[in-house]
Amino acid sequence: MAESKKKRPIIDMDIHERVTYDELLPYLDNPWQRYIKDTNWVQEKHLPYPILGAAGLDRADAKVPDGRPAGNDLSFMQQQLLDDVGHEAGILTGAGDPSPSSMNGWYEMAVALATAYNDWQIENWLEKDDRLYGSVHIAAQDPASAVREIERVGSHPKMVQVLLPIDDRPWGDPYYHPIFEAAERHNLMIGMHHQEPPNYYGKFPRYFVEWHSVMPNTHMIQISSMIFNGVFEKYPNLKLAMIEAGFTYIPAFMKKMDQQYKVLRHEVPWVKRMPSDTVKDHVRVTTQPVDELTKDEFLKFIELMDSDEIVCFSTDYPHWDYDSPFRALPPLGEELEQKIFAENARNLYPKLPTKVGKVTQ
Amino acid sequence: MKEVVCKKEELSPGNIMSTNLGPIPIVLCRTPDGEFYAFTDKCVHQGAAMSEGVVCGAPAPTDTPGEYHYVKEGEILRCPWHGIEYDIKNEGRMLVDPNRKLGNFNVSFEGDDVIVSTRK
Ligand code: FES
Repeated sequence: MAESKKKRPIIDMDIHERVTYDELLPYLDNPWQRYIKDTNWVQEKHLPYPILGAAGLDRADAKVPDGRPAGNDLSFMQQQLLDDVGHEAGILTGAGDPSPSSMNGWYEMAVALATAYNDWQIENWLEKDDRLYGSVHIAAQDPASAVREIERVGSHPKMVQVLLPIDDRPWGDPYYHPIFEAAERHNLMIGMHHQEPPNYYGKFPRYFVEWHSVMPNTHMIQISSMIFNGVFEKYPNLKLAMIEAGFTYIPAFMKKMDQQYKVLRHEVPWVKRMPSDTVKDHVRVTTQPVDELTKDEFLKFIELMDSDEIVCFSTDYPHWDYDSPFRALPPLGEELEQKIFAENARNLYPKLPTKVGKVTQ
Repeated sequence: MKEVVCKKEELSPGNIMSTNLGPIPIVLCRTPDGEFYAFTDKCVHQGAAMSEGVVCGAPAPTDTPGEYHYVKEGEILRCPWHGIEYDIKNEGRMLVDPNRKLGNFNVSFEGDDVIVSTRK
């Protein structure tokens, strides 16, 4: 990629804002506030190893200059990311802590945290920068409460998706369908971001490098679960954004699902379309973390997908495996670059603004 | 091109600083033995500013799984983004791929002045 910053519209599908528990207190009632204040409660974490980036989870240069953790300050994010890169839009995906949907038990606390988080997000980010769009956080373990939360904040003009964790119940399960129904009602898409715990019903591998190498596995489980459970037949306007597992697994996975469907479809008669067609119409995946392809390799993957509308760009700012919009992808030609960097995301989220003005270069 | 970029005492051993040689952003490194090295302030991977990175050592390659030997303390510059490691004392070469390296500059001294210049 050329060294100079190329001016183009960028819709970044994965930006992490971070809250501290202290900041959530004003958005919580008692007893939840007291649990946090009196006992310094923080959510249990799962990852058994350090993240071996230069500064752990985050880019070393993304720490807020006053010492607060990366992603905690809007003006610093504006300066380092939104203004510098020139984002047209960015979608906030939270920082994983608190992650209400990943709480084991104590659903009542999870529900309170999700509600507080959404209010905090709206007030401190979505309503303070035109470019930022948000994800509705829910306590998915309790679908009835999740539906209530989607009803409560889902019609906010800047909420564009419901964020679901990748956890130990694959998302095609009818248990979760009321969440999809509520999302569809509010024109929200479903976003899934790679998250702890990473392996469906599995344990962690021995090393972080193993875990980070196999993230697509869990995404494949979720996509096939939703397809073969008939979610997209039942909710034809619903779309799924699979965030932060790259995209190169998609062509082989489409082929595999189609082949399986041809011979085993009698098990799932409610599935009426070839899985690859459902992927093309309903599933979008992000480039990050990039697999560092040459132009020819990249184009080959696009050709094998038989669609240039599936892949969308994301930075994952401020995390250590951030992808630069100027350097992460090879040059792909103007038309494809416009789709990957902006148009595919714009078509995915109906609540994003339509393009204004002409593209300059 | 040649320029005085700082005084020796402005950069203590084991530290790095950002500076410029004309229009070129530079990362100036001082290893624990007091030597100075200068490189382009841009990671060859995705272009992060190396002067925002971390000075550290690195585990040496081993033939025995489960074994760790931490070496070169203060001589490795680790990128602030994806953490690629460059060997300061070995011309800024990448540890994982010594064929790739940061751009190099000469460092010389006049009295207390540290001078960075382009290589001839
Ligand atoms: S930009 Fe330096 S390691 Fe990626």
